[in-house]
Amino acid sequence: MGEENLDTRLLAELTEQSQDLNSDAVRITREALSEYGQRQEPARRWWQRGGTVAALAGGAALLGVSRAAAASSGDIQALQTAASIENLAVSVYTTAAGLSFIKDGNKTVAAFIAKTTAQHQAHAQAFNAAATQAGGKAQSAPDPKYAAVVKQMLPSIKGPGDVVSLAITLEDVAAQTYTSYTSQVSDATLRKLFASVAPVEAQHRATLLAVQALLAGGGASLIAIPTDAAKLPAAAGSVGFPDAFYSTKSASPISEGAVK
Amino acid sequence: MSAGNGGWELPISEGELSRLTRELDEAHQEYLPRMNAAAAELTEELRDTQPASVGVERLRMGSRRGFLLGAGGVAAALALAACSSSGSTKASSSGAGGTPMASGSPSPSASMSSLYTGDLQVVALATALENQAVGAYTAALAAAKAGKLGTVPAAVGTFATTAMAQHADHAKAWNAVLTGAGKPAITGVPLSNQPATLKALGAASSAGAVAQLALDLENQAAQTYLFATYNVSSAGGIATAASIAPVEAMHAAILNFVLGQYPVPDDFLPTDKAASPTLLTV
Repeated sequence: MGEENLDTRLLAELTEQSQDLNSDAVRITREALSEYGQRQEPARRWWQRGGTVAALAGGAALLGVSRAAAASSGDIQALQTAASIENLAVSVYTTAAGLSFIKDGNKTVAAFIAKTTAQHQAHAQAFNAAATQAGGKAQSAPDPKYAAVVKQMLPSIKGPGDVVSLAITLEDVAAQTYTSYTSQVSDATLRKLFASVAPVEAQHRATLLAVQALLAGGGASLIAIPTDAAKLPAAAGSVGFPDAFYSTKSASPISEGAVK
Repeated sequence: MSAGNGGWELPISEGELSRLTRELDEAHQEYLPRMNAAAAELTEELRDTQPASVGVERLRMGSRRGFLLGAGGVAAALALAACSSSGSTKASSSGAGGTPMASGSPSPSASMSSLYTGDLQVVALATALENQAVGAYTAALAAAKAGKLGTVPAAVGTFATTAMAQHADHAKAWNAVLTGAGKPAITGVPLSNQPATLKALGAASSAGAVAQLALDLENQAAQTYLFATYNVSSAGGIATAASIAPVEAMHAAILNFVLGQYPVPDDFLPTDKAASPTLLTV
């Protein structure tokens, strides 16, 4: 868990390369979100116009407005719940980064937490941008269900293994939820958004599962970039991806973190 | 592949390793029925919605990066930027053998250019990519066993074995969709990039080189499934692609770690390495 595990120059280069690669993906996602916003604009105008018509023309038009609102509210709720999960993840990772055994511990773990926090912030921004572009409110609060779980678990966190365990839980919930939402939302652009974030959360989980196994097996010195692949235990090669198909059984309902 | 090759000793007990392996297998078995059910659902959808005639436009047109499958079958205009397609649509044939990797030519005739259309073309592409991965890992494990890759880390061996099994499950699920829709299963690798993949694999002389090749295949698969989620129209197809993309991405994360690279390089999974349906030679 010491600093000697880290090639800081290589990590900085890799981080820079990662940021270069990521900037393209962020740009593409922003373009997609902008495109989605533009496509939603006529619908909002129709909704607003419909409201006026309803006031003038009565029940028939009101029924139309109600249907239009119902059709998009599910997507907005899904986006808000996703943002709430991201908000919680950012909060947890930020808290974890300040713990002494993280701050003064394995530098690769600390760097992973910093990078992962930034990635969750980007996801939260993307989900909230899509929610507001669809006519909804941004969600700035954490997911209430898992916020309670985190609150309950925090006092028992005594070391890096506890932090990793909690993070695995949150990453799995996020990946399962977005995998599920990919099939639930009504718009192709939103499917793309959820489907582009779920694998990233799954990668966080895969990495954390490997880290967890190394910590449990006394291989903390191998938690490094680059690692000594020759010394990795055999289990480290497979523990990161336990399922052939990503489950959705623990996915959050779309209303779970929606703005009330 | 033995730990002894590198002078490494197992830092966990054999019992612990056995427990982890057993849990892995149990998890694997738990999700297979669910996947099979999803595949059956997808087959039903395709049977209900896809006419027997070719030339059915089945892929969504809304995306700027969307592609067309218009009248006449494979009039595909895939607009993926920097797609890895070589542009060739000819069936490749190289060598013979029992593994998908060894067989460049697909089981269906390459002349049947309109065999898989619409969503089924994406399913066929997915099956071919999974077969390609199975073949690559099979060949890599054989090369390692023959000592052609030098000392192979134990973790790399376990990775290849486990990932290969998961890809085989994916291929099986996709083939069930194809056969359920009355189409031939794809048992080979009917992709125009297969010769280049075989050549790269044959030239690999170290575990690192093979891992890099595997990483390319995993990234290609994950990104292809991402692309599929917003370009196929059947709900079952979307759900299936969405459930596999994260798994391929997890494979890529572990490979990145083993290769000394950051395991989660992107905030959002891109599609610049996604495979184009034009790679298909059937």
